[in-house]
Amino acid sequence: MEVKPTGQSKAGDWKNFQRVLLPPVKDLHKLEVYEAEGGYQTFRDALSTAKWTPPAVTEEVQQSVLRGRGGAGFPCGLKWTFMPPVDENVPRFLCCNADESEPGTFKDRQLMEYNPHLVFEGILLACYAMSIKTAYIYVRGEFADWITHMEAELEKVYAKGYVGQNILGSEFSTEIVIHKGAGAYICGEESSLMDSLEGKRAYPRVKPPFPAQKGIWGYPTTINNVETLACVPLILRYGGEWFSQIGAERHPGPVLYGISGHVNRPGVYEYPTGMLITDLIEQVAGGMRNGKKLKAVVPGGSSTPILTAAMIDGVTMDAETLRDAGSMMGTGGMLIMDEDTDIVAWLRRVTHFYHHESCGQCTPCREGTGWLENIVSRIEEGEGNIRDLDLLVDLCSQMEGRTVCALADAAAWPVRYTIERFREEFEARCRPSLVPGAEVMETVE
Amino acid sequence: MTNFIKDPVVMMAERNPDPVFSNDELVFSDQEKRLIERWKSQYPTVDGAIMRVLWLAQEKFGFLPPEVIRLTADEVGIPYANAYGVATFYTQYYKKKRGKHVLDVCTCFSCQVCGGYDILHYLESKLGIHVGETTDDGLFTLQEVECLGACGSAPMLQVTNGRYVMDLTHERVDALIDTLRKGKTPEFTSVTLPQDEDELGGNRRSDVKEFQASSPRPVSETVR
Amino acid sequence: MAKITIDKTIFEFEGDQPSLLQFCLDREIELPHFCYHPAMSAPANCRQCLVEIGNPERDRETGQIMVDEEGNEVIRFFPKLMTSCSENISDGLVVRTQRSSDLVRRAQKDNLEFLLINHPLDCPICDQAGHCPLQNQAYKYGPEGSRFEFRKVSKPKHIRLGPRVVLDAERCINCTRCTRFTSEISKSHQLTIVERSVKNYPMTPPGIEFDEPYSMNVIDICPVGALTSEDFRFKARVWEMSSTPSITTTNAKGSNCYYWVKDNRVLKITPRTNMNVNEFWLADDDRLDYERFNDDRPPGPTVDGEASSWEDGYARAAHILGNVDGNRIAFLGSAHASVEDNYLLARLAEKLGTAAPMYIEHVEVGSGDDWLRTDDRAPNASGCARLGFTVADADLFGPRLKGGEIDVLYVLEDDPVSTGLCTSDDLHGVSVILHHYNESNQTLPLATVSLPAATVVETVGTFVNIDGHAQRVRPAKAIRGVNRTLAMEIGRSRADQHGTPFDRWYNEENLINCQPGWVSVPGVANALGLDMPTTNPKAIMAELASTNSAFEGATYSAMGEYGIRLSEIGETV
Ligand SMILES: Cc1cc2nc3c(=O)[nH]c(=O)nc-3n(C[C@H](O)[C@H](O)[C@H](O)COP(=O)(O)O)c2cc1C
Ligand code: SF4
Ligand code: SF4
Ligand code: FES
Ligand code: FES
Repeated sequence: MEVKPTGQSKAGDWKNFQRVLLPPVKDLHKLEVYEAEGGYQTFRDALSTAKWTPPAVTEEVQQSVLRGRGGAGFPCGLKWTFMPPVDENVPRFLCCNADESEPGTFKDRQLMEYNPHLVFEGILLACYAMSIKTAYIYVRGEFADWITHMEAELEKVYAKGYVGQNILGSEFSTEIVIHKGAGAYICGEESSLMDSLEGKRAYPRVKPPFPAQKGIWGYPTTINNVETLACVPLILRYGGEWFSQIGAERHPGPVLYGISGHVNRPGVYEYPTGMLITDLIEQVAGGMRNGKKLKAVVPGGSSTPILTAAMIDGVTMDAETLRDAGSMMGTGGMLIMDEDTDIVAWLRRVTHFYHHESCGQCTPCREGTGWLENIVSRIEEGEGNIRDLDLLVDLCSQMEGRTVCALADAAAWPVRYTIERFREEFEARCRPSLVPGAEVMETVE
Repeated sequence: MTNFIKDPVVMMAERNPDPVFSNDELVFSDQEKRLIERWKSQYPTVDGAIMRVLWLAQEKFGFLPPEVIRLTADEVGIPYANAYGVATFYTQYYKKKRGKHVLDVCTCFSCQVCGGYDILHYLESKLGIHVGETTDDGLFTLQEVECLGACGSAPMLQVTNGRYVMDLTHERVDALIDTLRKGKTPEFTSVTLPQDEDELGGNRRSDVKEFQASSPRPVSETVR
Repeated sequence: MAKITIDKTIFEFEGDQPSLLQFCLDREIELPHFCYHPAMSAPANCRQCLVEIGNPERDRETGQIMVDEEGNEVIRFFPKLMTSCSENISDGLVVRTQRSSDLVRRAQKDNLEFLLINHPLDCPICDQAGHCPLQNQAYKYGPEGSRFEFRKVSKPKHIRLGPRVVLDAERCINCTRCTRFTSEISKSHQLTIVERSVKNYPMTPPGIEFDEPYSMNVIDICPVGALTSEDFRFKARVWEMSSTPSITTTNAKGSNCYYWVKDNRVLKITPRTNMNVNEFWLADDDRLDYERFNDDRPPGPTVDGEASSWEDGYARAAHILGNVDGNRIAFLGSAHASVEDNYLLARLAEKLGTAAPMYIEHVEVGSGDDWLRTDDRAPNASGCARLGFTVADADLFGPRLKGGEIDVLYVLEDDPVSTGLCTSDDLHGVSVILHHYNESNQTLPLATVSLPAATVVETVGTFVNIDGHAQRVRPAKAIRGVNRTLAMEIGRSRADQHGTPFDRWYNEENLINCQPGWVSVPGVANALGLDMPTTNPKAIMAELASTNSAFEGATYSAMGEYGIRLSEIGETV
């Protein structure tokens, strides 16, 4: 089943990579500094240059092959083309998804802290490209400090006239509103985010209709991740061609890797896509902590299938390679675990997360997530039996693809693949008996 | 927190509790009202403002007993039941009174494998309470939370829906408790980008006093 | 014409269509489902209605539908199962339901397993048992045993959400039908789902009672026994009751309902769908209006306050009527009585040379709403008006009585005293002949002759609602005394029963000694020696339908179960 990529790094000369999302500029988060570095010039150009018609902007983004950084990796430019033709009587919305709650993901927060104007500029360009007059930035409520910081900078941007009515004397007007969440992972899911914005309980919606057809308040809406939107000014400034040449061919661009866990230098790194996981661990993140051996890597947030140490050889961080390797790129939030990690306990905590965060709307997820946690918990406590492992996999099949949103899949995948890939560890924790609770008959023979 | 799967009991909120706040207290100031009006104008329908107004109310009243939720609904102009449904959906809204400082310890995912539970247990014994409880002096409430988006600095916690305190050790926890006892708020801390450490010599922000450099995470003793 | 294929059967359709699920249900193709309700938005949250859906594959270049070697269209199925309740219908769609797809069968079973793991399975003590969608579908499509070996989530039970509705949150499957009802249909906004994940359940916010006038509708639409009626709890199991399609009579809307009867007592009233009248809903007043059918009923006819036989009652009434001048008699028809009964009364008045009956208006301004409750608290004022009756005016009527202009007051199924048309004093020296439903009728103490009348649940008749919709009522319970018409109608109205002593529902208990107006009014007429040929309600309507333009077309067969809309009455009426 496993296809072992023999691939080399697709990140080229990554050691000499010049950061663009988070370039090494002191105080870049301040408007003055950002402008001094050429910030908002791309946006000015878009407004004032005949070449940059809205469709041309979208076209350039399509050229860049930018894929969403929020988890699903959907081509950004293509998504923008789904917006229906402009009708002056029908409002349209952009939503910047800054909910960042997928466990193991912490790059958007760093981006918002250190380069908020790049995000604002990306939002403005996206609004321009899709003729959108209102953009919301949905920030998870826990990021209170960062919301305060961003609001202060946003005020400056308003004062400078980059946002608001008739921006820089042009015909183009748009507002940016920061919306503060209040503690619910599900709000990162795009349709649930829309309900949350509308002041409702954040229940994901059935699709179709998709947001571009029926989004916030039923109006055409595009939703993009923070990092996705931050790429847009870069694409316009340096060209889609330039962007598409960085990193992995079919999943190109600079990307923020959030590396956490048992490495010597955890943190957010900007490198091209297509980095070898081994390079990221050994060379970028300073190698394994205390010289321990690698046990497992979760490549892109808690829902992406876990890879064993043996599986990561030659695997690079891009959608195609990771898919072939049996996982996904997700958010690029990588958890590195060493040989001492109790994988059963870890999986139990992951199942708890999804149980706790299910919106509770639809049956397989509401009921299934709790059942998974119950069983994994029983196994962790040494009370499980081997039959439980098959039951777990069965329950995953009963949840996957049967729910309103992908949270149920996200909850099932870690269970399915962790059991598949670490089965001995689970078996070792189980009672040998098939009958739950029955005493082990060691003395018989 | 009681372990829900072990004791899966959903307790219903009291149907007719005595109000905590008097009618005289249940008013927004003119300034607050102006803010609310502004938020209402930012959405196609006023409903969109409810989350912000609940936040405002929580900051003002400390928590959200039913009469406060009703006030927010009236102020926004949406049905009370809708506001109540929203308030109970999100975990950051306190439907019950908490301690003065709420310590939300992340034990999720990366934090779990980097000692999140160690910090939680250390706080339990230090404060003499179990997770989910409040100290007798009403100063601290201890909670276990899901990933807070600071996994590279695990283990970490958040203080009362505000400040992140990261890269926790027993000593840092002690210092934090001291700070809070003194009535002070911990400083905002920037997490350094490792690449900045190499290229800019550390933190890039000149307007932040505290920063946190990248370093290996602690070895976890406990995982639950 | 566009076509869709469901389990290999082709259906043609034209124009806008409802969801795939509704399309199937309309064609009696059963698809298990819980959260979908035709009147409300479709959140597709129960996930029970999953089906396989595919479209014919088209050649990229020519746009032609591709065919395989055997000439069959190549169908590309969606990789995932789709919820039929949220799926639109389009030409060429191919659907596989549980009838033809293992995948669908499996998914439905899996889903039921999930639904049941935290369900208390307390059907033996649940009011919903016997007509519970969850119970039925679990039997039909569900798993055999349970693989769930953990403690079920315990949630609030026996919670009085309001005066009339009780919640057991453990039984709730979170379909949100109840909360959608209060937010989309009644718009009372009194309910919401609270909490999140498996901990969620429907509730009122603290300090709020679920007391809106339509609250009990959530009981019917709840697909499990999570919402039950405070009033009905544990009174009877569904299979112990008969149900009869009819209409309610607390106001002039004539909402369609079922009367649920056990031992000749009405125990509950539930809505019956009629898209032209009440759609799926019924007001709480209408549901709780049943005690007057069971209790407070007179033991039998009286003459001068003494119990009498029916014959003696008729004879005495005839004697009174026969001995006065026609213009010294006043006839009161009734907005509570059927068109037929009022018609017969009018015939009687005519034969006695008396002016056409008047009727008492029961309007309570402000008591209604613009939905299923009208200010008019009687069911048949329209019927009276269409018969040409005018409203009795209290300002004129009392003084006429008092002034000695009237010797005999003949009242059909109403109560002039309690309604304030006249006072007891006004009736001093007036002979009163009264057809009445209840002992508490305030005119009764003044009646010279009282003749207990069958109520709407004991008779056959026609009522015209405020919008001119003419509808039939049917006997839901038996009365004392045998009447062929009633016996036959009872047999017809309670499906699979025959209204005979051998019938499973036939019961000697609690039979009320009363008569329908179309028996007792002719009884009086006959005692007077007057000829009243048409006394069968069906025949009366047949006659009215062809002779009176106000009732044009309103035959029993045309009215059927859902009634017909009469044309507007002209100015002259
Ligand atoms: C359960 C769930 C949680 C999600 N959480 C996030 C999130 O926190 N941030 C995010 O950007 N996208 C999240 N997504 C993905 C969004 O639904 C959506 O695909 C994304 O915001 C689109 O942006 P992109 O195309 O720019 O990646 C989540 C998806 C699911 C199913
Ligand atoms: S899959 Fe889970 S989170 Fe998504 S809608 Fe269903 S219950 Fe809610
Ligand atoms: S109480 Fe009944 S109607 Fe309401 S959500 Fe639960 S199951 Fe659905
Ligand atoms: S896991 Fe603790 S902050 Fe992400
Ligand atoms: S009926 Fe379709 S999902 Fe519930």
